[in-house]
Amino acid sequence: MTKARQTSPWLPRVRHQLLMALLAGSLWPMLANREVQAQTKPKVNVFLQLDAKSSVIEKTLQSRLPGLSITVFGRFRDFDDATNSGQPDAILSITPVLEARGKKATLQGTLAGKSTETYVLASVGEPLNSSPAGKTIGVVDLLSRDGTQSFFTALLKTTDVKLKRVAKIEDLLPLLEFSAADGVVLPISILSKFMERTRLAVKTRELPGVQVGLPAVAVLNGAVRGVVVGAFQKLDRATKSMLGIDDWSER
Amino acid sequence: MRVATKSPHHGVAGGLALGLILVGCATVGGGSPTASTPTPIQDPPTRPGLPSILVAMPSSPDFVDARRGLVAEVHEIFNVSTLLITRETTVTDIADAIERVKPVCAVLMNNVTIGLFRTYESAHKDRPALPTVVIMSSLLDEVRSQIRNAVGISYEVPGVTAFVNLRSIIQTPIHRVGVVYRPVFRNFINRQKETAQKENIAIVGSELARDFSADDLRDALRTLIDKDKVDALWMLNDNLLVRDAQFLDETWRAELRSAGLPLIVGVANLVDPTTSLGTLAVVPDHEALGLQAANLIFDLAENGWNIKGHGIDLPLSVKTIADVRQIRARFQLRPGALARIDSGLE
Repeated sequence: MTKARQTSPWLPRVRHQLLMALLAGSLWPMLANREVQAQTKPKVNVFLQLDAKSSVIEKTLQSRLPGLSITVFGRFRDFDDATNSGQPDAILSITPVLEARGKKATLQGTLAGKSTETYVLASVGEPLNSSPAGKTIGVVDLLSRDGTQSFFTALLKTTDVKLKRVAKIEDLLPLLEFSAADGVVLPISILSKFMERTRLAVKTRELPGVQVGLPAVAVLNGAVRGVVVGAFQKLDRATKSMLGIDDWSER
Repeated sequence: MRVATKSPHHGVAGGLALGLILVGCATVGGGSPTASTPTPIQDPPTRPGLPSILVAMPSSPDFVDARRGLVAEVHEIFNVSTLLITRETTVTDIADAIERVKPVCAVLMNNVTIGLFRTYESAHKDRPALPTVVIMSSLLDEVRSQIRNAVGISYEVPGVTAFVNLRSIIQTPIHRVGVVYRPVFRNFINRQKETAQKENIAIVGSELARDFSADDLRDALRTLIDKDKVDALWMLNDNLLVRDAQFLDETWRAELRSAGLPLIVGVANLVDPTTSLGTLAVVPDHEALGLQAANLIFDLAENGWNIKGHGIDLPLSVKTIADVRQIRARFQLRPGALARIDSGLE
């Protein structure tokens, strides 16, 4: 009895430890596997100017693309810094942003069969029909200061223009409301949403001759190309619509 | 020569700042330079031959965010030297920093910093006026003249920006917005009316006495609601309009409970579904404000640091925090509205 009494507190502890060891032995590979999976999910950095907050885009994309690790950036600088330092496996942005990084689209978004769209010049009262030379034009920061300057002066076909860069596409409207710019440039796909927000007498004209690439995926790590391309190709119609496209074309 | 940082509060800038919730500042901390734990700040490595910009600022997070947006833009062209303004900062510290950095331009953040800089300028009238960009300072239009060579960006979110954001997320029509204000805000409100009108929104103002009571405020709100038939109310960032929880209950909540109108506020913590008050908070996006300030600096640099032709710009970028529970119950969300809100609380 004495012996039993002496050992009874000890035995359950051993049994417990044995049980835990067995459990750990059987669970560990599962846990470890999940961790490895999380760590090895291809990382995709996204920079798009849409009529939705970047947090909403991120949440939507992440829920539709569970096999990928999605980070959406609302500002070019944040995207640029993270992409330079974070070695993502793929990036999703409009093609000029990919090309500025020396990348080509692996998966090109298309809308009604076209891979590009026109941009429009919007102004209040009268459309800026002639050259915008000498005018102040609001644009979204897509490629940092110099890159954005080059991109939009090419669109506007003049370097004699003062560009006002804003961080987000919704910041273009205040430029017109405050008369801080003579006009603003935006993709035609955003125009209807832009017009919904305002009661200003906004007039627009398409910028002729230049087409700008729609959102596209560039896979930077060839080892995960299949996973990334497969995942984006399976995106539902509503999510593609949010991105401003209705299909993908593999390149 | 040692001057406590509270001394600049004496004077117009400080007087205004004391009366305001640091205007437009959602997470505040801005009213006091030492309100929160200092955030470590590291300037980019100095490169010989580049012109320098001196940034004088408190260390709380909103200022750090604005600086981040600014430095990200300007650091390739300018050296940046940051002077953190604390309660211990003196005018001598400002003078030493200017002497050491020899900036082509100074960026001043908040009214306390403006006060110190103003004192520095008064003591060094013989020196050329340093081009100065002022941000995150309340009622900048009123205090700008106190600095010799200043331009800047207002901190107050323009009414039209707030109204258009509200209109884009709720179904209830917004044509008339009521606002109560003290005389110190009269000029500010008058300026808002013109820009709001461009968006077909009329601001209906009700001026309160300098020292108004809770009953005065309730009467003014009731008149806006019942007589002027406003579609929404706009609460300015003025401490005297908020005071404390009991005051809010007895004034704003009491009137809004029966009126059922949306309330636009300028601080995030007045939007809380558990203690329903603000419908939508529209607050400055500080990092984007840094980008806007950087663009202003580039403009000045291209114009030989001549501030002529530059006034006070309005802030372009905001963040929105909405009481989605309140909107669903009273005003109906527009389709896609949740995608246009930075933070929706339910």
